[in-house]
Formats: sequence, structure tokens, C-alpha cells
Amino acid sequence: MKYNIYNQIKNEKSLSGKLNVVRYDKNLRKIILQIIFSSFLLYFLYYLITRSFNLDLGLSHLSSRAGFGISHQFLTDYTSNDSRWDAYFIGLVNTIRVSIVGIAFATILGILMGLARLSKNFLLNKISTAYVEIIRNTPLLVQLIFWQLALLQLPQISNALTFGELSVWSNRGILLPYVNSLQNGGLWVLCLLTGLIISLVIRSYASKHKEENVNFVSPAIIALSVFILIAISTYVILGVELYADIPQLTQNQYGTYIQSGGFTLTPEFATVLFSLVLYTGTFITEIVRGSIQSLPKGQTEAAKALGLNNYQTTTLIILPQALRSIIPPLTNQYLNLTKNSSLSVAVAYPEVFMVSRTIMNNSGHALPMLALILSTFLALSLIISLFMNILNRQITRIGA
Amino acid sequence: MMNFRNKYILGVTLALSMFAIFACSTETEVEVIKEVEVEVIKEVMVDTPSTLSTVLERDLLKCGVNDNLTGFGVVNSDGEFAGFDIDFCKAVAAAILGDSSKVEYVPLTASARFEALAAEEIDLLIRNTTWTSSRDRDLGNDFTATTFYDGQGIMVKASSGYDSVESMTGATVCVLQGTTTELNLDDRFTGAGIPYTPLTFETNDPLQAAYEEGRCDGWTTDKSGLASKRAGFENPDDHVVLAETLSKEPLGPLTRDNDSEFYDVVQWVVFGMMQAEESGISSTNVADMAASPADPGMARFLGVGFDGGEPTDFSFGIPLDFMQKVISQVGNYGEVYDKHLTPLGLTRAGSLNALWTEGGLIYSPPFR
Repeated sequence: MKYNIYNQIKNEKSLSGKLNVVRYDKNLRKIILQIIFSSFLLYFLYYLITRSFNLDLGLSHLSSRAGFGISHQFLTDYTSNDSRWDAYFIGLVNTIRVSIVGIAFATILGILMGLARLSKNFLLNKISTAYVEIIRNTPLLVQLIFWQLALLQLPQISNALTFGELSVWSNRGILLPYVNSLQNGGLWVLCLLTGLIISLVIRSYASKHKEENVNFVSPAIIALSVFILIAISTYVILGVELYADIPQLTQNQYGTYIQSGGFTLTPEFATVLFSLVLYTGTFITEIVRGSIQSLPKGQTEAAKALGLNNYQTTTLIILPQALRSIIPPLTNQYLNLTKNSSLSVAVAYPEVFMVSRTIMNNSGHALPMLALILSTFLALSLIISLFMNILNRQITRIGA
Repeated sequence: MMNFRNKYILGVTLALSMFAIFACSTETEVEVIKEVEVEVIKEVMVDTPSTLSTVLERDLLKCGVNDNLTGFGVVNSDGEFAGFDIDFCKAVAAAILGDSSKVEYVPLTASARFEALAAEEIDLLIRNTTWTSSRDRDLGNDFTATTFYDGQGIMVKASSGYDSVESMTGATVCVLQGTTTELNLDDRFTGAGIPYTPLTFETNDPLQAAYEEGRCDGWTTDKSGLASKRAGFENPDDHVVLAETLSKEPLGPLTRDNDSEFYDVVQWVVFGMMQAEESGISSTNVADMAASPADPGMARFLGVGFDGGEPTDFSFGIPLDFMQKVISQVGNYGEVYDKHLTPLGLTRAGSLNALWTEGGLIYSPPFR
């Protein structure tokens, strides 16, 4: 096929004939168009790269002193004396924090609302419909600002609400009682998670090899005892020493009210979290509804015929099957939530984009900072996709 | 064999054509750059159309201003621009064109202002802009004179009882993002070892809401800006601006680089308004003074002859009596200040903005 054109050109006597062969040959035309297109693309890239080499693309300015404070910190003690890299890291932690908590709550909300949407209960059904239609059809940025102003309506700190000395509520933050540790608290939680995974692995191994289990000890009991053993031993080794952290509202000698202790939910974090959860929740609701509706009606009818009740039908028959078509679009929503968290720049929550903008304004190196932000979000998105793909493979394998 | 040769020819042709595409585009680019360079050089070397002649030709001054800062530049209820900065636009128009109303106001945002000036969208930028070395050096403009000595301050609620930065230990302070304000604030608090929490906002409106609702204890920005916002509150007396100044913020008009004629006019109009106040010439008495000047210096200043003599010529390419027009139509420095800034609570006496004879920094080089 490819060599046809050469033979044709060779066989044509006149020049115009040769040209006509070239003109009317479909394959050759395609090749030429592709070459022209790719050369333009190459030239464009070449232009961009040579242009950017003229600019200072280094990120060396990030190691200089930050010089500005950051209002929200989690597990870190940043001061303005630290470098811009540290400030950037604080922003990144804030982004990850709001994304993880947001993803968890949005998923729960979405599944509940999705089930409610299909419910025959009139009230549940209408509540879910109203929720989806109102929240999904309004801009996220407007919702963010709405929640910010709404949360500012909490009492001012001088008349903060205290619930039996256990919790402090003001527009500076909602402080809840919390279990804190003297040292290594975060590390211990990490150990617990590792212990949980180990005990789950042991359980599945033990149940697979039931026949060899001569003592007839239940796999669950083996797993549980391993978990407890890990928990207690790491608690002692790390010297965790848990204590109840009760929020306090005090005044210093100048009369400034200081909230301390407990778990603090600041209005800025709450604003971003509420908006992202509610907004993403609507899309997850629709995904759940759509996936369930796409299942053949026979599945429900068969479950009913077997005598399963509504709860059993949903949890044993419907959801496990719906999950296979839920996961891929759900990944999209998780990515959206993470990316949308950058909108919190509007409501004073210092996530990575906001901190970077401050750095950009202070240093004047906008382009490298933007490249850094883009690659950060790209990395976050790819990590989420990776996890979701692994999950997807697990889920699809089950029924197969 | 033939097939191979044909293929070879085709390949070479394609390679050549690709090369041609590259070569042509690079070549034209170089040519364009050269042309632009030549044009720029021509403009600078041969006949730079000075802004002064442009303004005279157009019979209109284009002034870049703020339209949302009470006292400095704001659109009032009649839909007209009014304020301290606006009056300096009017003064320049009165000096060059003889009519203070021949001004087109171009409202600009903080981020767009320098580009608007550099791109010749406006002739003159008077938009509460701080004179700093980096702005003077990097942004292609010249600061003419300081019309207002500002400084960063902190506003707190009167009921809070704060009276100094030291007393704000542990307080939350609201600040606008990406401004030098944010850095000055941290320098002051961290420098003195005072713990505080900054709450950084991207825009002013949510910041104001947060301050009013008590989310933060203090609000920091330029003192003039604080006074202006304070005047806009329902009960201005519920808020106090602390006496301490965190940084120097001299504000003034800007012209483009390499535009000496126009630069001189703007600079000396501002100085003239200060000189008029010092010499006791105001909008009410300027006509009498011009009719019978008290001494040769005043006659020279107002562009009239002394005791029947001829007027001394030191105009800047504009009519001799430009200061008369400025003062009769706009007023002297003190009048403009009292009209716009005193009502905001920006007391002049004892501040940097008092006349040098009264211990301030408002000082005009001699008109001679």
C-alpha cells in the first residue's frame, strides 16, 4: 500500500500527472498534514522553552526567610523566621488536611443522600432532591463566601458559648474536648494503623488456613489479640500518656481573650470543609443514584424473592454491585474536591495556593512558583488516582 | 533502488521544508525585534512626544485614580470624583489647561496602576501610591513629590482597651495578602517577641466583615486607609487607630520615566500648593494678591509684575499665572487637606503632614 504511490509517480509520464498523484493520495495527505502540525507544535514548544530560559526559573528564593505569619497550622510549629519552603509546606499540609477530611465526609454524605434520593419515603426523597438541586446549581465560590459570613455570626469571643466548661463556641473557633498525648501522639496513631493492617492480614491468612488450625481459635480473636498487643507495646515504648484535653477560654493580662486546648475547628477551615463537602456531596449523590438505577431491577426483585429485607437488599445486593460503576466517576469527584480546595484563598484559609501567592508577591518570581503549584496539584491528583485505581481493581475483582 | 531514492528525496524535501518553517519564523522574529528596537530608539532620541504637549493637544488630562477610598479618591453621591488625590489631578489640569474640570479620571486597581501608566493609558497616576526604591527603579516611572506622609497603623475596637502594639499580646490581626503590610506587621510583632495570629485575606470586603464581627482584634493597613474605613463605619467612635506607626508610606503622584517637562510641571504644581499655604495665599485671597502682590517673590510666584513692572518668566512651558489658576480653582495644600482629610479624623497638627514651619514635613523648595 505504502509503495503504491512511488510506483504511481514513477509510471506517470507528465509532471502534472505526478503532482496529481500526490494531490489525490489520501495517505500522503494525512502524513503531510501530521508533519506540518507536529512541526508547528515543536516550534511552539521550542519557543516556550527558549523564552523561559531568559527568565529566572530557579526556586532558590524559596530558601530565604519567609517573613510572614500563617494563621492555620497542623502538627507543626512554623514561625515567620522559617524559610519560604517551610511556609509552602504548611500550605501543603493545610491543603491535604482539608482534602482528606473533605473526601471522607463528602463520600458519606453522598452515599446517604444517594440512597435517600431513591427512597420511597417522601420526606427523605424530597430533602435529598432539594439538597442536590440547590447546592449543585450554585457556584462554589459564592457558597464559600456564604459559609464564611454565616460562621462569622457565631458569638464573638467575649460572649463565647461554653457548654458545661467542655466546649467553647465563638467565631474565633469551635473548640471540642479532645484526647491528647504528652508525646509521640501522631506516631502512635500511625502505629495503630499499621497494627490494624497487620492484624487484618493475619486474619485473612488465618481464615484461609482454617484446616491447619488445630486449636480451633477463631481468626478474629487471633487478629484482635495481635492488634491489642501492638497497641499496648507501642504505647509503653513511645511513652504516649494520653490525657483529656479540655478547651479553655482565658484572658491574658491585657484583656485579650485566648482560646486554648481541645480540638479547634476554626471558622476558615469549617467554611472550606462545609462548602467542599456539600458541593462535592451533590455530585457523589448523583453518581450513587445513577449507579444503583443502572442495576437491573431483577436484582432487587430476586433479593426480595429470597426474603431479604430492605436493609439486607441494599447492603448485600445493591451497593456491592453498584460500587463497581461508582468508583471511576467518584475518583473524578475526589480530584475535583482537592483542586477546588484552592478556592479557599477567598476565605482566608492558608492552603498551598494562598501561601504561594504571598510568596509570589513578596519575591516577584511568579512563574516558577506557579509551576511549583501546578506540579504539586498534579502530584496530589496522581496519588489520589493511584489509590482509587487500586481500590477499583479490588472491587471489580470481587464479583468476577 | 528507485524506491529507495524516491523515499530519500521525499525525506530530504520534508526536512528542508521543516527547516524552512523554523528558519522563516526565527528570521521574522529577529527582524521584528530589530524594528521595534529601532523604533524605540527613534522615539527616545529624535522626537519624544512629551506628555505635556500631548495633554495640551488633547486639551484633557487623563488621571489614574482610586475610586473607592473615602477622602482620597471616591465617586460621591453626585457621581463625581472627589478626594485629596483627585484635587491634585484638578490642580495639574488647572495649571496646564487653565481649567480644573478638564480631567478624565481613570479608576485603577492597585495591581493595574503601574501598567496603565507605562502603557500611556493615563498621563498621571495619583492613586495613594507609596514611594519605594523598587517601584522607582523597576516600574518605569518617577515619583514627583510626596503629597501625603502615610504610615501603617492598626485599628482596634475602642471597647477592647488596646493602647499599644505591646498590649496586643496574643491578639488576632486581619491583614491583606501580598502587600508589604503583611511583612511590616510580622516584623513589628515578631521583632518584639509578641505572639500574635495574622489572618490573611485576599480582598478587603471579607476582611472588613471579619473585623466587624470580631473575628480579629485588629485591622492593619495604611493609617489613611484605616481612617477612611473608620469614617465609613456606622459608629466611627467605636474604633480607634493606635498611635504607633509601623512603617513609612509616603504617597504622591507619578509620571513616566524620561518625561522631564511634564514631571517638572506636576512636581512644581504640588510644591506651589505647599508654598501658597506657607505664604498665606488661599483661594479666597489669591485674586487680591495677584492684583497687588506684597513683594517681588509673591509676584513671581503668581506670574504677575511687581509694582507695575514686567512679570518674571519662569513658567514650565505653560502660562505664567498657572499658580493663580491652581489656587483659585482648587486651593492651597492646607485647603485641600482640610476639605478631604480632616473630616476623616486625620489630624494635621503635630503630624508629618503639617507645614515645615509648624514642625511637619510639608516643605516646598524656593520658587526663584
